Amino acid sequence: MSEGLTYFLMSWTDPKLLLLTAAGTFAGIYIGAIPGLSVTMAASILISFTFSWDVNPALALIAGVYMGGVYGGSRSAILLNIPGAPAAIATALDGFPLAKRGEAGVAIGLTTVTSFFGGFVGIIALAVAAPAISEFALLFAPRDYLLLAMMGLLLVGSLSGESLAKGLYAGALGIALGMVGMDPMTAEGRFTFGTVQLMGGIPYVAAMIGFFGVSEALAQLHNLKVAPVKQNVSRILPSWSLLRRYMPLSLRSSAIGVVIGALPGTGGDIAALMAYDQAKRTVKNPSRPFGEGAYEGVVAPESANNAAVGGAYIPMLTLGIPGDAVTAVIIGALFIHGLKPGPMLMIETPHLFWFTVGNLTLANVFMLIFGLTGVRIFAKVVETPPGILIPLIMILSVVGTYAIQNSVVDVYWMLGFGIFGYFLRTYGFQVGPVVLGMILGPLMDTSYRRAMISAGDDPIAFALEFVTSPLSLVLTLAVTLLLLGQTPVWRGLKGRLTRQG
Amino acid sequence: MITRRSLGGLAALPLLAGSRMAAAQEAYPTRDLLGLIQWGAGGATDVTARAVTPHVEQALGAKIVLQNRPGGSGAIAMTAVHTAPADGYTLLYAAENPLLYGVLNLSRIDLVNEFYAVNVLARGVPVIVVNADKPWRTLKDLVADMRANPGRIRMAGTGPGGQPHVVSSMLSSLGNIRHISIPFDGEGPGLTALQGGHADFMPAGSGAAAQHVRAGRLRALAVWNTEPLPSFPGVPPATADFPELARFMPWGSFYGVWVRRSVPEDRRAKLVAAFKAGASNPQFVELMQGNGNVVMNISGDEADNFLKRWQSVTTWTLQEAGAARTSPAELGIPRP
Repeated sequence: MSEGLTYFLMSWTDPKLLLLTAAGTFAGIYIGAIPGLSVTMAASILISFTFSWDVNPALALIAGVYMGGVYGGSRSAILLNIPGAPAAIATALDGFPLAKRGEAGVAIGLTTVTSFFGGFVGIIALAVAAPAISEFALLFAPRDYLLLAMMGLLLVGSLSGESLAKGLYAGALGIALGMVGMDPMTAEGRFTFGTVQLMGGIPYVAAMIGFFGVSEALAQLHNLKVAPVKQNVSRILPSWSLLRRYMPLSLRSSAIGVVIGALPGTGGDIAALMAYDQAKRTVKNPSRPFGEGAYEGVVAPESANNAAVGGAYIPMLTLGIPGDAVTAVIIGALFIHGLKPGPMLMIETPHLFWFTVGNLTLANVFMLIFGLTGVRIFAKVVETPPGILIPLIMILSVVGTYAIQNSVVDVYWMLGFGIFGYFLRTYGFQVGPVVLGMILGPLMDTSYRRAMISAGDDPIAFALEFVTSPLSLVLTLAVTLLLLGQTPVWRGLKGRLTRQG
Repeated sequence: MITRRSLGGLAALPLLAGSRMAAAQEAYPTRDLLGLIQWGAGGATDVTARAVTPHVEQALGAKIVLQNRPGGSGAIAMTAVHTAPADGYTLLYAAENPLLYGVLNLSRIDLVNEFYAVNVLARGVPVIVVNADKPWRTLKDLVADMRANPGRIRMAGTGPGGQPHVVSSMLSSLGNIRHISIPFDGEGPGLTALQGGHADFMPAGSGAAAQHVRAGRLRALAVWNTEPLPSFPGVPPATADFPELARFMPWGSFYGVWVRRSVPEDRRAKLVAAFKAGASNPQFVELMQGNGNVVMNISGDEADNFLKRWQSVTTWTLQEAGAARTSPAELGIPRP
């Protein structure tokens, strides 16, 4: 244990490692805040950059970038309604309305503190229960991923706005857009019209930037004459009573974050969306209705996505299996540095585990510090006159989209989705379900087909597996209850039951 | 006035560029090179590219800016390099996939004819691994079980044309073998599913499988080679059980660097020399061998011969398995 503590404190006591973690976290926050620049990209660039270094400084830097980057996405989501990263999509839903009410400072403060809290829960889970959680994550069969994706898609009900029908249309559109490209099962082109450019699919980050950023900018053009909302920045740090009130929600969301983060194939974006959905279902009296600037609407996703960081490290460190795209890059880095990521990693290089835990903790602390400084200046972004802000959003959107994979075609997509999103908004369709469909649709598609193939294409065997495996049974029941809970059947049943009582 | 002067400046640009190009024929490279990686960050192609490039930069005396441009099974990156000027400033870091684009209808551009192999860096050796709880101890056991229970045993694959698909097609040439093939998003996710018991066996890359085998979570039945591999002690080659498989070997995924064939010969020579030096660096060699790969470090005609043979063996295997969409005969690929 004392040995573990020594490794844990390595990056706290070595000034070089301390500085690198700080620099990584700082850079991560701003990389995360710029839409299109992703943590995955930053981490893979850092690998070439840190090639000749020792492994510890390289890992310290990457851990910082990861922690900071996941948090940084919330910045632009709150201030500009452009999620800096997919993990911040759910944050924009209530974060931006908060900024519009003049509470950008409060929103950023609350986001920072709950991100810190979520990050901490993730790290504790990693430190205490890593082997158990990774064995649990392995239990998830393709059909369980299918159930998870279905559960996530039920969120459409929460994101529909004025009409469920319009929400369903938007969600279905998103799923259809997500199907474009090479079929992951058969490598056959779907909706590609025979072009190679469409083979890779439509990048959902480009759609996200277009639907959220550009369409918002276009919508703002109607309000050029309206004076921007004055931001109240007198209080940034949320009060104790407020934090205490949201602690249980934050903890529940963090638990979702850890598990979804630890599952190979799902990361912070899905974790945040599911946490938002969970908040919407379980919080009876939110500070304001969800979607109009509820504090709960930023607490839940931000706790979850930072908890997912620790979660994603769990299968990586214990089994050599990446929990998400960033940890996949880190595995690459470990290989290059001559380590052998895999189940033996913890036995052969035991220092790595506690070093990483210590490092993430340190990065989490730096995230809190950097996150809370300069908020007053940032909040002023919202006060910028639209005549200046809108062109800036456009430029940021174009540059960010180009940066995803250096493709001009993506920029056209983004602009097209921006204009399309503007009309959707104008006619009362929400853009949230479209992006949700693009993220979860492919997961649902591939999981369903994998599950069906592994059942030998036998529908009866396929259906039986949903109730014979304990994990699938629990998930099936959860999906059924969630579905029933939203339909009149349940209300009628409940009404009858209470009458009897 | 300023406008006119800047206009004049613009008009002079092509001239300047022309003279710069003339000078570049003697001096190359004079600026940074761009290296497009066919696959995403963290994959085997990405790791290989990022591991060799720093050593190549030293030998070349110029920086190579690496960019991942994944999508379309790598066809998008290849098309991008193909449309870029053939001046030797744009490199393609690719794996074996482009050799199958023709039969899988992914691209009409043929890697062997249109590109010049600067270096085929290394090749991997597939290893047939099974979930440690399964009863099979040898490849013979697995094949016997597949024959006894046709369409029951589940293979974790990576989609058409992927390594598991090709290896299992070669294995199926033994006759009377039918199994379920579940495509996962890649080798990593496939191995994960194998450990969770959601699939039964997988022909996986030696590098990806080695650590899981060493930890006893997966069992290796055979290496897809005519000889054993040092990184898999005690695991027999597949030819020990089935000598007739030798006609497919050596076979496995590989990683390399290409430029367009029309790049001037002196520039190609400089690139070849730089990559030869980079790939000979002990650090790189150690990394590749540690991952269970075989370092090749070949270029030019030697690489061409390797690629042509690989393409012929693989495309005809896919054709016989009924997985080719365009027959290799139609593409002029000779039968092995």
